[in-house]
Amino acid sequence: MAVSRNWIVPFLAVVAVYLAAAGLLAAFVPVQDGVRAWGAPLIAGGWMAWTFPTAMFFLTIFGILSLMAVWEYAVPGGNPRVGVLRFETTRGDRLFVSLLGSAFIHLAWLGLVGASLWWALALSVVYAIAVFRYV
Amino acid sequence: MERTWNNKAWFLVLPVLVLVAFSAVIPLMTVVDYSVQDTFGNNQFFWAGTEWFEELLSSSRFWQAMGRNLVFSAIILAIEVPLGILIALNMPKKGWGVPVCLVLMALPLLIPWNVVGTIWQVFGRNDIGLFGYYLNKLGFDYNYVQDPLDAWFTVILMDVWHWTSLVVLLCYAGLVSIPDAFYQAAKIDGASRWAVFRYIQLPKMQRVLLIAVLLRFMDSFMIYTEPFVVTGGGPGNSTTFLSIDLVKLALGQFDLGPAAAMSLVYFLIILLLSWVFYTVMTNYDAER
Repeated sequence: MAVSRNWIVPFLAVVAVYLAAAGLLAAFVPVQDGVRAWGAPLIAGGWMAWTFPTAMFFLTIFGILSLMAVWEYAVPGGNPRVGVLRFETTRGDRLFVSLLGSAFIHLAWLGLVGASLWWALALSVVYAIAVFRYV
Repeated sequence: MERTWNNKAWFLVLPVLVLVAFSAVIPLMTVVDYSVQDTFGNNQFFWAGTEWFEELLSSSRFWQAMGRNLVFSAIILAIEVPLGILIALNMPKKGWGVPVCLVLMALPLLIPWNVVGTIWQVFGRNDIGLFGYYLNKLGFDYNYVQDPLDAWFTVILMDVWHWTSLVVLLCYAGLVSIPDAFYQAAKIDGASRWAVFRYIQLPKMQRVLLIAVLLRFMDSFMIYTEPFVVTGGGPGNSTTFLSIDLVKLALGQFDLGPAAAMSLVYFLIILLLSWVFYTVMTNYDAER
Protein backbone atom coordinates (compact mmCIF):
# COMPACT_ATOMS: atom_id res chain seq x y z
CA MET A 1 0.00 0.00 0.00
CA ALA A 2 1.57 3.27 -1.09
CA VAL A 3 1.73 6.09 1.44
CA SER A 4 0.62 9.12 -0.49
CA ARG A 5 1.34 11.94 1.96
CA ASN A 6 3.90 12.96 4.48
CA TRP A 7 2.54 11.79 7.84
CA ILE A 8 5.58 12.42 10.04
CA VAL A 9 4.77 16.07 10.87
CA PRO A 10 1.08 15.53 11.82
CA PHE A 11 2.04 12.35 13.72
CA LEU A 12 4.65 14.19 15.76
CA ALA A 13 2.20 17.06 16.31
CA VAL A 14 -0.41 14.67 17.76
CA VAL A 15 2.17 12.98 20.01
CA ALA A 16 3.48 16.37 21.19
CA VAL A 17 -0.03 17.67 21.97
CA TYR A 18 -0.84 14.40 23.79
CA LEU A 19 2.29 14.59 25.94
CA ALA A 20 1.80 18.30 26.64
CA ALA A 21 -1.83 17.74 27.67
CA ALA A 22 -0.83 14.77 29.88
CA GLY A 23 1.85 16.92 31.53
CA LEU A 24 -0.62 19.73 32.08
CA LEU A 25 -3.12 17.33 33.67
CA ALA A 26 -0.41 15.89 35.91
CA ALA A 27 0.44 19.41 37.04
CA PHE A 28 -3.17 19.90 38.14
CA VAL A 29 -3.18 16.79 40.40
CA PRO A 30 -3.72 18.09 43.94
CA VAL A 31 -1.20 17.43 46.67
CA GLN A 32 -2.63 16.09 49.94
CA ASP A 33 -0.39 15.68 53.00
CA GLY A 34 2.71 16.16 50.85
CA VAL A 35 1.80 13.40 48.37
CA ARG A 36 0.13 13.66 44.97
CA ALA A 37 -3.45 12.38 45.25
CA TRP A 38 -3.87 10.84 41.77
CA GLY A 39 -7.51 9.95 42.37
CA ALA A 40 -8.60 13.28 43.82
CA PRO A 41 -10.74 15.67 41.76
CA LEU A 42 -8.63 17.93 39.52
CA ILE A 43 -11.03 20.82 40.12
CA ALA A 44 -12.44 20.79 43.64
CA GLY A 45 -16.24 21.15 43.52
CA GLY A 46 -16.38 20.81 39.71
CA TRP A 47 -19.63 19.12 38.62
CA MET A 48 -17.95 16.83 36.10
CA ALA A 49 -15.65 15.55 38.87
CA TRP A 50 -12.60 15.10 36.64
CA THR A 51 -9.76 13.02 38.03
CA PHE A 52 -6.35 12.39 36.51
CA PRO A 53 -7.06 8.73 35.54
CA THR A 54 -10.39 9.53 33.84
CA ALA A 55 -8.92 12.58 32.10
CA MET A 56 -6.03 10.43 30.84
CA PHE A 57 -8.50 7.80 29.65
CA PHE A 58 -10.35 10.31 27.48
CA LEU A 59 -7.15 12.03 26.40
CA THR A 60 -5.86 8.65 25.19
CA ILE A 61 -9.10 7.96 23.31
CA PHE A 62 -8.86 11.38 21.62
CA GLY A 63 -5.17 10.72 20.94
CA ILE A 64 -6.03 7.41 19.24
CA LEU A 65 -8.75 9.12 17.18
CA SER A 66 -6.29 11.83 16.16
CA LEU A 67 -3.74 9.20 15.14
CA MET A 68 -6.44 7.49 13.08
CA ALA A 69 -7.03 10.85 11.38
CA VAL A 70 -3.29 11.11 10.63
CA TRP A 71 -3.36 7.57 9.23
CA GLU A 72 -6.31 8.50 7.04
CA TYR A 73 -4.45 11.65 5.90
CA ALA A 74 -1.40 9.55 5.02
CA VAL A 75 -3.27 6.70 3.34
CA PRO A 76 -6.76 7.91 2.38
CA GLY A 77 -9.63 5.52 1.76
CA GLY A 78 -9.92 3.73 5.09
CA ASN A 79 -8.30 0.54 3.76
CA PRO A 80 -11.54 -1.46 3.36
CA ARG A 81 -11.08 -5.24 3.27
CA VAL A 82 -12.87 -8.49 4.04
CA GLY A 83 -11.30 -10.30 7.00
CA VAL A 84 -12.11 -13.26 9.23
CA LEU A 85 -15.57 -11.90 10.04
CA ARG A 86 -16.32 -12.23 6.29
CA PHE A 87 -17.67 -8.73 5.85
CA GLU A 88 -16.00 -5.53 4.77
CA THR A 89 -14.42 -3.41 7.49
CA THR A 90 -12.51 -0.15 7.34
CA ARG A 91 -9.83 1.07 9.74
CA GLY A 92 -12.51 2.96 11.70
CA ASP A 93 -14.59 -0.23 12.04
CA ARG A 94 -11.56 -2.12 13.27
CA LEU A 95 -10.82 0.57 15.86
CA PHE A 96 -14.44 0.48 17.04
CA VAL A 97 -14.35 -3.33 17.36
CA SER A 98 -11.03 -3.06 19.22
CA LEU A 99 -12.28 -0.46 21.70
CA LEU A 100 -15.61 -2.15 22.31
CA GLY A 101 -13.96 -5.56 22.70
CA SER A 102 -11.39 -4.06 25.07
CA ALA A 103 -14.15 -2.64 27.25
CA PHE A 104 -15.71 -6.10 27.54
CA ILE A 105 -12.31 -7.71 28.19
CA HIS A 106 -11.79 -5.30 31.10
CA LEU A 107 -15.29 -5.95 32.46
CA ALA A 108 -14.83 -9.72 32.17
CA TRP A 109 -11.48 -9.45 33.96
CA LEU A 110 -13.05 -7.42 36.75
CA GLY A 111 -15.90 -9.89 37.11
CA LEU A 112 -13.87 -13.09 36.85
CA VAL A 113 -10.37 -12.31 38.08
CA GLY A 114 -10.08 -9.15 40.15
CA ALA A 115 -9.34 -5.47 40.35
CA SER A 116 -5.81 -5.40 38.91
CA LEU A 117 -6.41 -4.50 35.29
CA TRP A 118 -2.86 -4.48 33.87
CA TRP A 119 -3.23 -7.99 32.45
CA ALA A 120 -6.60 -7.05 31.02
CA LEU A 121 -4.93 -4.05 29.34
CA ALA A 122 -2.21 -6.28 27.90
CA LEU A 123 -4.84 -8.73 26.65
CA SER A 124 -6.76 -5.82 25.07
CA VAL A 125 -3.65 -4.63 23.22
CA VAL A 126 -3.08 -8.15 21.85
CA TYR A 127 -6.75 -8.33 20.92
CA ALA A 128 -6.59 -4.92 19.15
CA ILE A 129 -3.49 -5.98 17.18
CA ALA A 130 -5.28 -9.17 16.14
CA VAL A 131 -8.36 -7.17 15.08
CA PHE A 132 -6.28 -4.75 12.99
CA ARG A 133 -4.38 -7.67 11.46
CA TYR A 134 -7.14 -10.19 10.73
CA VAL A 135 -10.59 -8.53 10.83
CA MET B 1 -11.07 6.53 -13.15
CA GLU B 2 -9.04 7.69 -10.20
CA ARG B 3 -11.07 8.64 -7.16
CA THR B 4 -10.61 12.13 -5.75
CA TRP B 5 -10.17 12.39 -2.00
CA ASN B 6 -11.13 15.68 -0.42
CA ASN B 7 -11.04 15.58 3.36
CA LYS B 8 -11.96 19.27 3.63
CA ALA B 9 -15.60 18.20 3.49
CA TRP B 10 -15.15 16.87 7.04
CA PHE B 11 -15.25 20.48 8.28
CA LEU B 12 -18.91 20.56 7.24
CA VAL B 13 -19.78 18.05 9.97
CA LEU B 14 -18.18 20.15 12.69
CA PRO B 15 -21.49 21.78 13.79
CA VAL B 16 -22.99 18.30 14.27
CA LEU B 17 -19.94 17.23 16.24
CA VAL B 18 -20.37 20.22 18.56
CA LEU B 19 -24.06 19.40 19.07
CA VAL B 20 -23.31 15.73 19.76
CA ALA B 21 -20.54 16.75 22.14
CA PHE B 22 -22.95 18.74 24.28
CA SER B 23 -25.86 16.31 24.09
CA ALA B 24 -23.98 13.01 24.38
CA VAL B 25 -20.22 13.09 24.80
CA ILE B 26 -20.00 15.47 27.78
CA PRO B 27 -22.78 13.68 29.74
CA LEU B 28 -21.08 10.34 28.93
CA MET B 29 -17.74 11.68 30.18
CA THR B 30 -19.43 12.80 33.39
CA VAL B 31 -20.89 9.32 33.87
CA VAL B 32 -17.42 7.81 33.40
CA ASP B 33 -16.05 10.27 35.98
CA TYR B 34 -18.78 9.40 38.47
CA SER B 35 -18.37 5.64 37.94
CA VAL B 36 -14.97 5.59 39.63
CA GLN B 37 -15.86 7.89 42.52
CA ASP B 38 -18.17 8.09 45.48
CA THR B 39 -20.11 11.14 46.56
CA PHE B 40 -22.19 12.11 49.54
CA GLY B 41 -23.56 15.22 47.87
CA ASN B 42 -22.35 18.82 47.92
CA ASN B 43 -20.16 18.11 44.85
CA GLN B 44 -17.58 16.32 46.97
CA PHE B 45 -16.10 13.23 45.36
CA PHE B 46 -13.86 10.46 46.69
CA TRP B 47 -11.87 8.03 44.55
CA ALA B 48 -13.36 4.52 44.47
CA GLY B 49 -11.48 3.01 41.51
CA THR B 50 -13.14 -0.07 40.05
CA GLU B 51 -15.09 -0.84 43.22
CA TRP B 52 -18.54 -0.10 41.75
CA PHE B 53 -17.90 -2.22 38.69
CA GLU B 54 -16.76 -5.17 40.82
CA GLU B 55 -19.79 -4.76 43.05
CA LEU B 56 -22.09 -4.57 40.04
CA LEU B 57 -20.65 -7.59 38.24
CA SER B 58 -20.99 -9.74 41.37
CA SER B 59 -24.47 -8.46 42.18
CA SER B 60 -27.34 -10.90 41.69
CA ARG B 61 -29.72 -7.93 41.53
CA PHE B 62 -28.03 -6.69 38.32
CA TRP B 63 -27.93 -10.10 36.62
CA GLN B 64 -31.55 -10.80 37.55
CA ALA B 65 -32.66 -7.47 36.04
CA MET B 66 -30.60 -8.25 32.93
CA GLY B 67 -32.20 -11.71 32.71
CA ARG B 68 -35.68 -10.20 33.00
CA ASN B 69 -34.83 -7.71 30.26
CA LEU B 70 -33.60 -10.43 27.89
CA VAL B 71 -36.61 -12.67 28.58
CA PHE B 72 -38.97 -9.73 28.06
CA SER B 73 -37.31 -8.77 24.75
CA ALA B 74 -37.38 -12.39 23.54
CA ILE B 75 -41.07 -12.80 24.40
CA ILE B 76 -42.24 -9.58 22.78
CA LEU B 77 -40.18 -10.26 19.62
CA ALA B 78 -41.60 -13.80 19.43
CA ILE B 79 -45.12 -12.36 19.61
CA GLU B 80 -44.92 -9.01 17.81
CA VAL B 81 -42.97 -10.06 14.71
CA PRO B 82 -45.19 -13.02 13.60
CA LEU B 83 -48.33 -11.15 14.65
CA GLY B 84 -47.22 -8.05 12.75
CA ILE B 85 -46.55 -10.09 9.61
CA LEU B 86 -49.91 -11.84 9.92
CA ILE B 87 -51.83 -8.56 10.26
CA ALA B 88 -49.87 -6.90 7.42
CA LEU B 89 -50.61 -9.85 5.11
CA ASN B 90 -54.31 -9.52 5.80
CA MET B 91 -54.55 -5.76 5.44
CA PRO B 92 -56.26 -4.50 2.26
CA LYS B 93 -53.91 -3.40 -0.52
CA LYS B 94 -56.38 -1.05 -2.25
CA GLY B 95 -59.69 0.73 -1.66
CA TRP B 96 -61.11 2.65 1.30
CA GLY B 97 -59.90 0.04 3.77
CA VAL B 98 -56.28 1.07 3.28
CA PRO B 99 -56.40 4.51 4.97
CA VAL B 100 -58.74 3.19 7.67
CA CYS B 101 -56.37 0.34 8.56
CA LEU B 102 -53.31 2.58 8.41
CA VAL B 103 -54.86 5.15 10.76
CA LEU B 104 -56.00 2.40 13.16
CA MET B 105 -52.54 0.91 13.14
CA ALA B 106 -50.86 4.27 13.68
CA LEU B 107 -53.06 5.24 16.65
CA PRO B 108 -51.29 3.25 19.41
CA LEU B 109 -47.94 4.61 18.22
CA LEU B 110 -49.12 8.18 18.74
CA ILE B 111 -49.92 7.70 22.42
CA PRO B 112 -47.15 8.78 24.81
CA TRP B 113 -45.54 6.00 26.87
CA ASN B 114 -46.69 7.28 30.24
CA VAL B 115 -50.28 7.57 28.96
CA VAL B 116 -50.11 3.97 27.68
CA GLY B 117 -48.93 2.93 31.14
CA THR B 118 -51.75 4.81 32.82
CA ILE B 119 -54.34 3.34 30.42
CA TRP B 120 -53.20 -0.21 31.20
CA GLN B 121 -52.81 0.45 34.89
CA VAL B 122 -56.51 1.34 35.08
CA PHE B 123 -57.60 -1.15 32.39
CA GLY B 124 -56.00 -4.06 34.25
CA ARG B 125 -57.34 -3.27 37.72
CA ASN B 126 -59.68 -5.95 38.96
CA ASP B 127 -62.02 -3.52 40.74
CA ILE B 128 -62.61 -0.74 38.20
CA GLY B 129 -60.65 -1.83 35.10
CA LEU B 130 -62.60 -3.33 32.21
CA PHE B 131 -59.96 -5.96 31.46
CA GLY B 132 -59.15 -7.01 35.02
CA TYR B 133 -62.76 -6.93 36.17
CA TYR B 134 -64.07 -9.16 33.40
CA LEU B 135 -61.15 -11.60 33.60
CA ASN B 136 -62.06 -12.14 37.23
CA LYS B 137 -65.75 -12.43 36.32
CA LEU B 138 -64.78 -15.16 33.83
CA GLY B 139 -63.16 -17.09 36.66
CA PHE B 140 -59.49 -16.15 36.19
CA ASP B 141 -57.71 -15.19 39.38
CA TYR B 142 -56.08 -12.12 37.81
CA ASN B 143 -54.39 -9.44 39.92
CA TYR B 144 -51.32 -7.79 38.43
CA VAL B 145 -50.58 -5.90 41.65
CA GLN B 146 -49.99 -9.10 43.65
CA ASP B 147 -49.17 -11.88 41.22
CA PRO B 148 -45.81 -11.71 39.34
CA LEU B 149 -47.14 -13.82 36.44
CA ASP B 150 -50.15 -11.52 36.04
CA ALA B 151 -47.83 -8.51 36.14
CA TRP B 152 -45.68 -9.99 33.36
CA PHE B 153 -48.79 -10.89 31.37
CA THR B 154 -50.04 -7.29 31.66
CA VAL B 155 -46.71 -5.69 30.74
CA ILE B 156 -46.28 -7.99 27.72
CA LEU B 157 -49.87 -7.48 26.58
CA MET B 158 -49.43 -3.72 26.90
CA ASP B 159 -46.24 -3.77 24.83
CA VAL B 160 -47.84 -5.97 22.18
CA TRP B 161 -50.81 -3.60 22.02
CA HIS B 162 -48.56 -0.55 21.81
CA TRP B 163 -45.88 -1.71 19.39
CA THR B 164 -47.16 -4.50 17.14
CA SER B 165 -48.54 -1.85 14.82
CA LEU B 166 -45.01 -0.60 14.15
CA VAL B 167 -44.10 -4.06 12.86
CA VAL B 168 -47.36 -4.12 10.89
CA LEU B 169 -46.66 -0.78 9.21
CA LEU B 170 -43.09 -1.74 8.33
CA CYS B 171 -44.18 -5.12 6.91
CA TYR B 172 -47.04 -3.50 5.04
CA ALA B 173 -44.59 -1.04 3.45
CA GLY B 174 -42.50 -4.02 2.34
CA LEU B 175 -45.51 -5.88 0.98
CA VAL B 176 -46.96 -3.02 -1.10
CA SER B 177 -43.58 -2.49 -2.76
CA ILE B 178 -43.74 -5.95 -4.37
CA PRO B 179 -44.62 -5.52 -8.07
CA ASP B 180 -47.76 -7.35 -9.30
CA ALA B 181 -45.63 -9.22 -11.84
CA PHE B 182 -44.27 -11.42 -9.02
CA TYR B 183 -47.77 -12.52 -8.01
CA GLN B 184 -48.78 -13.05 -11.64
CA ALA B 185 -45.74 -15.28 -12.22
CA ALA B 186 -46.55 -17.24 -9.06
CA LYS B 187 -50.14 -17.69 -10.22
CA ILE B 188 -49.00 -19.00 -13.61
CA ASP B 189 -46.71 -21.48 -11.82
CA GLY B 190 -49.62 -22.57 -9.62
CA ALA B 191 -47.83 -21.57 -6.41
CA SER B 192 -49.66 -22.19 -3.14
CA ARG B 193 -50.41 -19.40 -0.65
CA TRP B 194 -47.56 -20.64 1.54
CA ALA B 195 -45.14 -20.74 -1.44
CA VAL B 196 -46.04 -17.14 -2.34
CA PHE B 197 -45.35 -16.10 1.23
CA ARG B 198 -42.14 -18.13 1.56
CA TYR B 199 -40.54 -17.30 -1.78
CA ILE B 200 -41.93 -13.85 -2.67
CA GLN B 201 -43.33 -11.95 0.29
CA LEU B 202 -40.92 -13.00 3.04
CA PRO B 203 -37.71 -12.30 1.04
CA LYS B 204 -39.11 -8.94 -0.02
CA MET B 205 -39.92 -8.12 3.60
CA GLN B 206 -36.52 -9.20 4.91
CA ARG B 207 -35.07 -5.68 4.99
CA VAL B 208 -38.04 -4.12 6.81
CA LEU B 209 -38.20 -7.10 9.16
CA LEU B 210 -34.58 -6.55 10.11
CA ILE B 211 -35.37 -2.92 10.89
CA ALA B 212 -38.46 -3.99 12.86
CA VAL B 213 -36.50 -6.54 14.90
CA LEU B 214 -33.73 -4.01 15.54
CA LEU B 215 -36.12 -1.27 16.64
CA ARG B 216 -38.26 -3.51 18.80
CA PHE B 217 -35.32 -5.24 20.41
CA MET B 218 -33.51 -2.01 21.28
CA ASP B 219 -36.70 -0.36 22.48
CA SER B 220 -37.77 -3.33 24.60
CA PHE B 221 -34.27 -3.68 26.04
CA MET B 222 -34.42 -0.06 27.18
CA ILE B 223 -38.07 -0.13 28.28
CA TYR B 224 -38.80 2.02 31.31
CA THR B 225 -41.89 4.21 31.40
CA GLU B 226 -44.68 1.73 30.67
CA PRO B 227 -43.81 -1.01 33.22
CA PHE B 228 -42.79 1.65 35.74
CA VAL B 229 -46.22 3.30 35.52
CA VAL B 230 -48.15 0.00 35.56
CA THR B 231 -46.27 -2.09 38.12
CA GLY B 232 -43.49 0.17 39.48
CA GLY B 233 -41.16 -2.81 39.00
CA GLY B 234 -43.25 -5.09 41.22
CA PRO B 235 -44.72 -7.12 42.73
CA GLY B 236 -41.41 -7.50 44.56
CA ASN B 237 -38.82 -7.09 41.84
CA SER B 238 -40.60 -9.28 39.30
CA THR B 239 -40.89 -6.59 36.61
CA THR B 240 -37.82 -4.57 37.58
CA PHE B 241 -35.94 -4.25 34.31
CA LEU B 242 -32.45 -2.76 34.01
CA SER B 243 -33.66 0.78 33.37
CA ILE B 244 -36.05 0.70 36.34
CA ASP B 245 -33.30 -0.69 38.56
CA LEU B 246 -30.95 2.03 37.33
CA VAL B 247 -33.40 4.80 38.14
CA LYS B 248 -34.02 3.30 41.61
CA LEU B 249 -30.27 3.28 42.20
CA ALA B 250 -29.52 6.74 40.80
CA LEU B 251 -32.56 8.76 41.87
CA GLY B 252 -34.14 6.64 44.60
CA GLN B 253 -30.99 5.84 46.55
CA PHE B 254 -28.83 8.67 45.06
CA ASP B 255 -25.95 6.18 44.70
CA LEU B 256 -24.36 8.06 41.82
CA GLY B 257 -21.18 5.97 41.64
CA PRO B 258 -22.83 2.51 41.40
CA ALA B 259 -25.52 3.96 39.12
CA ALA B 260 -22.87 5.42 36.80
CA ALA B 261 -21.07 2.06 36.67
CA MET B 262 -24.35 0.33 35.86
CA SER B 263 -25.13 2.94 33.19
CA LEU B 264 -21.80 2.30 31.51
CA VAL B 265 -22.24 -1.48 31.45
CA TYR B 266 -25.80 -1.01 30.14
CA PHE B 267 -24.49 1.44 27.51
CA LEU B 268 -21.78 -1.00 26.38
CA ILE B 269 -24.32 -3.80 25.96
CA ILE B 270 -26.61 -1.52 23.92
CA LEU B 271 -23.63 -0.35 21.86
CA LEU B 272 -22.59 -3.95 21.13
CA LEU B 273 -26.10 -4.99 20.13
CA SER B 274 -26.54 -1.88 17.95
CA TRP B 275 -23.27 -2.63 16.20
CA VAL B 276 -24.27 -6.25 15.56
CA PHE B 277 -27.64 -5.20 14.12
CA TYR B 278 -26.12 -2.36 12.10
CA THR B 279 -23.50 -4.72 10.66
CA VAL B 280 -26.09 -7.32 9.75
CA MET B 281 -28.27 -4.71 8.05
CA THR B 282 -25.51 -2.97 6.10
CA ASN B 283 -24.06 -6.28 4.96
CA TYR B 284 -27.46 -7.41 3.86
CA ASP B 285 -27.66 -4.24 1.74
CA ALA B 286 -24.17 -4.84 0.34
CA GLU B 287 -25.05 -8.43 -0.63
CA ARG B 288 -28.13 -7.20 -2.47
